[in-house]
Amino acid sequence: MKQDIHEYLAELEDIPGTRVYTTKRARKGYWVNQFAMSLMTKENRDRWRADEKAYLDEWPMTEEQKQALLDRDYDKLLDLGGNIYFLAKVFSTDRKSYLQAVSTMTGMSEEDYRNMMLSGGRSPEGLRSKSKGY
Amino acid sequence: MAHITAGITSSHVPAIGAAIDLGKTDEDYWKPAFAGFDWTKEWIMKPENKPDVVILVYNDHASAFDMNLIPTFAIGCADEFQPADEGWGPRPVPVVKNHADLAWHIAQSCILDEFDMTIINKMDVDHGLTVPLSLMFGEPEAWPCKIIPLAVNVVTYPPPTGNRCYNLGRAIRDAVESFPEDLKVQVWGTGGMSHQLQGTRAGLINAEWDQKFLDDLSADPERLRTMPHIEYLREAGSEGIELVMWLIMRGALGDKVKELHRHYHVAASNTALGHIVLEPQD
Repeated sequence: MKQDIHEYLAELEDIPGTRVYTTKRARKGYWVNQFAMSLMTKENRDRWRADEKAYLDEWPMTEEQKQALLDRDYDKLLDLGGNIYFLAKVFSTDRKSYLQAVSTMTGMSEEDYRNMMLSGGRSPEGLRSKSKGY
Repeated sequence: MAHITAGITSSHVPAIGAAIDLGKTDEDYWKPAFAGFDWTKEWIMKPENKPDVVILVYNDHASAFDMNLIPTFAIGCADEFQPADEGWGPRPVPVVKNHADLAWHIAQSCILDEFDMTIINKMDVDHGLTVPLSLMFGEPEAWPCKIIPLAVNVVTYPPPTGNRCYNLGRAIRDAVESFPEDLKVQVWGTGGMSHQLQGTRAGLINAEWDQKFLDDLSADPERLRTMPHIEYLREAGSEGIELVMWLIMRGALGDKVKELHRHYHVAASNTALGHIVLEPQD
């Protein structure tokens, strides 16, 4: 019954355009995500809004992670260990919805992305596996 | 004696909560999404169907649990839980009142049954839990039943397997049936269906796969409980993995179930919205 952990983890990396939140990513992005969590109180949101860079400097993150947060570069933040549910605290503080934030990662405009979702979403065809190409 | 009278599943898209809270449910965009819940809203308030307790299986979206603590299965055992502030301020929904006696009983019973549950008392509950309540019960002053929160980790990999979830459902059923108070208990599984919230593959929807998943909750639960995580990810998107939580609901209903109602709508925000009502047959 038990799946081999190495095979399991290798398969997770085989999906196009997808960074599964494995423990490796979680460790890399620990402080990005803990920072994002801190925005769940109004007091911290106010401090963040008042001076984003100063607030970020309180957290032991890499400069690259800090810059990606300042840029709201969610796609890059996923590469740097961020997780969308944590990052949601950042875009919610910006008064942006999931749809607005997620659309920025697709190379599409918000309107085009929204229209794609209304006409049935993105087909999985050709996007299931990098190695098998289906 | 307490017994399990029905199982319900529903997506828990945060934008649905926002649409309800901001009075947008009559807008063209949202109307078809909400229409599929009208049947359930009427059904669930009939005296013969109305639950005394709902065991509500959901995932916390980095609200109560940060990266410091990642329990696979956590059961809420306090008397009440407040709606979480997810960055917009808390949703204006009632406080969640628990049936703490039953929750503690389930925790004890499951641990003896070799499911090592995490017990949590101080916990705010996020959209994963409150959106399904709003969909089924509307906007009451107080929720019409007690609610036992059961949070499942589907964020940090690996989440529990489908088989583990299904078997936990069975253990919950045994626990409920050994509780002396006469209670109607429903188990709700939430999250899904197909959706991906990241990268160039964001917006993935697989209606055919979703419908087969809905079919097999009654027709072939064996296929679902043995489905590996990679299939959810490839076919239903990275966040489609939430569907393993539906199998806790399914495991709690016993071998045979009857489908009473189904609703499927694309799209609610980034997500394929799925909803089903099942009744145990044995």
